[in-house]
Amino acid sequence: MTDLLYWLQGPVPETEPPKAEMPPWGETKVVGKPVPRVDGYERVSGSAVYPLDFALPDMLHAAILRSPHAHARVKAIDTSAAEKMPGVRAVLTAFSPGADVPWYRSRGRFYSKLFDERVRHEGDEVAAVAAETRAQAFDALKAIRVEYEEFAFVLDPREALAPDAPLVHDGGNRYGEPARYERGDLAAGFAAADVVVEGTYSTACEIHAPMEVHGSVAKWDGNRLTVWDSTQGVFVVQQTVAAALKLPLANVRVIGHYMGGGFGSKLEAGKYTVIAALLAKRTARPVKLFLTREEVFLNAGNRPANTMKVKIGAKKDGTLTAIEFSSIGSGGAYPNGADTSFLATDLYTCPNVAAVDENVAINAGRARAMRAPGFPQGAWALEQAMDELARKLGMDPVALRLANVPRVSQRRGNLPYTSTGLAECLSGGAKAFGWETTREKRKDDGPIRKGYGVAAGMWGYGGGPPATVVVKLYADGSVNVNSGAADIGTGTKTVMAQTVAEELGVPLEKIQIEHADTGTTQYSGPSGGSKTVPSDMPAARAAAIEVRTKLLAGAAEELKVPVAELKLDGNDVVSTKDPAKKLAVTAVPALQRNQVLVGVGTRGPNVEGKVISMFAAHFAEVEVNVRTGEVAVTKLVAAQDSARVMNRLTFECQVQGGLVMGLGLGRTEERVLDRQTGKMVNANWHDYKIPTALDVPAAQEVLSADLVDTECNTAGAKGVGEPATIPTAAAIANAVRDAVGLRVHDSPITPPKLAALLAAAGKKG
Amino acid sequence: MLPSFRYVRPRTVAEAVKALAAEGARAHAGGTDLLGCLRDGVFDAKSVVSLSGLADLKGISATKDGGLRIGALTTLAEVARHAGIAKGWPALAQGAAAAASPQLRNQGTLGGNLCQRPRCWYFRGDFDCARKGGEICYAVEGENTYHAVFGGSGCYIVHPSDTASPLVALRATVKVVGPKGVRTLPVEKLFVLPEVDHTRETVLAPGEVLTEVLLPPPLEGGKGHYRKVRSRGAWDFALGGVALALSVKDGKVASAGVVLSGVAPTPWRVPEVEKLLVGKALDAKLAAEAAELAVKGAEPMSGNDYKVPLVKGAVEEALLALA
Repeated sequence: MTDLLYWLQGPVPETEPPKAEMPPWGETKVVGKPVPRVDGYERVSGSAVYPLDFALPDMLHAAILRSPHAHARVKAIDTSAAEKMPGVRAVLTAFSPGADVPWYRSRGRFYSKLFDERVRHEGDEVAAVAAETRAQAFDALKAIRVEYEEFAFVLDPREALAPDAPLVHDGGNRYGEPARYERGDLAAGFAAADVVVEGTYSTACEIHAPMEVHGSVAKWDGNRLTVWDSTQGVFVVQQTVAAALKLPLANVRVIGHYMGGGFGSKLEAGKYTVIAALLAKRTARPVKLFLTREEVFLNAGNRPANTMKVKIGAKKDGTLTAIEFSSIGSGGAYPNGADTSFLATDLYTCPNVAAVDENVAINAGRARAMRAPGFPQGAWALEQAMDELARKLGMDPVALRLANVPRVSQRRGNLPYTSTGLAECLSGGAKAFGWETTREKRKDDGPIRKGYGVAAGMWGYGGGPPATVVVKLYADGSVNVNSGAADIGTGTKTVMAQTVAEELGVPLEKIQIEHADTGTTQYSGPSGGSKTVPSDMPAARAAAIEVRTKLLAGAAEELKVPVAELKLDGNDVVSTKDPAKKLAVTAVPALQRNQVLVGVGTRGPNVEGKVISMFAAHFAEVEVNVRTGEVAVTKLVAAQDSARVMNRLTFECQVQGGLVMGLGLGRTEERVLDRQTGKMVNANWHDYKIPTALDVPAAQEVLSADLVDTECNTAGAKGVGEPATIPTAAAIANAVRDAVGLRVHDSPITPPKLAALLAAAGKKG
Repeated sequence: MLPSFRYVRPRTVAEAVKALAAEGARAHAGGTDLLGCLRDGVFDAKSVVSLSGLADLKGISATKDGGLRIGALTTLAEVARHAGIAKGWPALAQGAAAAASPQLRNQGTLGGNLCQRPRCWYFRGDFDCARKGGEICYAVEGENTYHAVFGGSGCYIVHPSDTASPLVALRATVKVVGPKGVRTLPVEKLFVLPEVDHTRETVLAPGEVLTEVLLPPPLEGGKGHYRKVRSRGAWDFALGGVALALSVKDGKVASAGVVLSGVAPTPWRVPEVEKLLVGKALDAKLAAEAAELAVKGAEPMSGNDYKVPLVKGAVEEALLALA
């Protein structure tokens, strides 16, 4: 399960090449325009039915009993009282038939079970109940008697490697050997450096906290299961659920139309889906199982905490000579990614680099991919170190970065990028921010200090096959687009409608999107990793072109002119040579005969010998009250290289969301675990501090480098979700350093932390 | 899930007093926190007594002596936007405006804000802590970033209210109606330190209802301010803060109320600072001296020593704002 993330592991599947030539778009009529969302009205009016809203007649409600302990063994469990309670229809434990399902697979082995007798973090699943009402289900949980044998636990990844540390898993607390990367000669690189900076940085654990909690509704029809799931990828859920229940894929239908946010935490199937299905089977009733907000904090993923050491060497002119980077993080009580080294090895040109990533087990909730997993953490460390380096060199931090912009991906065999907009982001962002002039407004005396910071980032994955989209043109000229991709709030449906409208000349109002349903739509990977636009839009384009080709061929036959002479013009097919020769689309005999024209588009393979990456540079202005340690982020500018912007509105929305999320990492968000019990003390929306509207600056500017990239894919667009949040926190940290002359190495930069540091340094208003 | 409880909606204060005297009865004013506490099992309720039918507890009116009477059910939003309060008792208006979020201020009441339960995450969470009748205060050895640096003893909560400190600084009183009749007491005397009783925050006896807050007439040359430092811009409790109610006559401080928030299990009045200020002209030197004195004797825990410079900074800044 853990292997199914953004990208397929192993060989890239062979995809049938698109049937038609797809030259790069020139000037576009619909794509790129600030088109409002096609489902905007439904979303804001409340008429959109999210999985959490979903209800079926005769439906039961389920709830999960979770471990209150960080590490324990379930010695005995007595469900007899719960089973007798009003409304209770089924109780599920490790001993129930069919419940012995292995779970949390990594590197070829399973680390746990649906209900494991050994619980390894607060919130691990112990039992589940289905009852007539949700209240009855939760009441029944309280009546389940569990006897635990408590074990010692470990919460800090660094302590987990101590020889006497409690073992989270028998066999040791490492998830695999440390991942090492090397190029060049590190020692020689540092020897050649005129200036060296070195520092340790850490990021706190963040929770995704999407608006819609995680959950499913499960319903059986004989041996066919239908699941309504709040998910980023219906096909991933289908695969996992089918494997867990030993069903053929064809017997499992997963539907995920609307969903209220995931940020990576809904890229995989949750235990809750399988538990709902098992309870539904037991009771022969549909079962709804949604987590509570507290459960989401405990057991629906997180961005792991990381501790990172960075050492950078450079020549006097800013040329980098060596980078050494090490990181330790934890996937949590069960394996998941915690590596952060990518940026240190690929963002800047540097011949001598060594990096190591260690991933260890701790007794806390398991990580899940969170918006650019590992990258904001890596940027927090690398980009603060670069800022230090600029100070030590006496160089402008923008100029230092510009001096080291890479032309090839050094981490990936020195292959060139299809496009690289890092320089454009840095210089364009600096210009929009007023980097040269604004910085003169720095204020380093008085109680309120003002500072400016910059940080850069990249995201190293540009989508790819497999993806299939079907476009149907109906006899009345309306169009149905069919794709398995989820719209996780990013505007996938809107951008897909624009893509098809571009090729078919059909107004957006005539296009309907049918999506995210394994029973009726075509395969797409989960929506995450900024890969939905670059993976699925080329397939949508190919499908639309196939429909157009069929339409033009039919019209050519009727009009008795060569196909090459015809073009689609609004509602008509028209001859480019003789405008009198035209035929209404709806009058094309091939369409009338079949009542529908179908095009099937697939995503072709990525270009060989090149890599696809997105780049970004963020700029921050902060005001720090040195009396109290309060930080106000007063301005943010994000310059993004995503090549083509498919929709200016959804693009800006995504980048603004990325800025806010980055601000959360930099300023406010932090999972707090009680050192005495291993329990999370801030598992609620008040104590876990997501930025409010008052924490986000009104002054925000979103820029696109607007590079033309004809190689990344046939839509020419590289995606934007992840790179929009990667450098933000580091830019804020650098601005705080600029304002007060102190560097906060550990996220988030809170008044408690900064007030203590300022006091220790004797800084006063 | 909520426990099952009886819901009572009395129509007179006398009925409310009777209903609240019953064992396991909980008063329901704005209800912004009560339902959450019941749902999370922070405490139980056999009956919930809604005060919403008590018209006597609503509204703001002038008293004969030139002061103000604020009914306990007056919302924080009403207190925050009341022109008379903003003019005559600015510290209170600013405190009410600094609390919670707009939605909560529209629903939450002044009485509820004074009588609310603490926000300590051990008290609120799945921990058998001393305040809930358990053996230990988990904050002592645990995660105490937000805990007390003054007045802790066996329990280290901080008082969560942003209106309590201004009211103490303003020398306000509260009217309490109970089974034994009516009493008024200074807001300062409403709260209970853990050394007296670490299981409750107010002196209210079973059946007692806080019905109104009484503000004395504005002082001649009066000035006020509430400064709250928090981790995020809204919906956050004070990391530290200060309420000031000063009067200035002939360029010198004639009287002073200085009360810290977010640092102790009760609003934390600092009489030494009040004494220091009186009779002197408020300038930068005096503000710095007063700020230093305000945090004297603080006893930080392992994770909250930041509160000393933070509160000092807030006090200095607040005093300078009135200079």
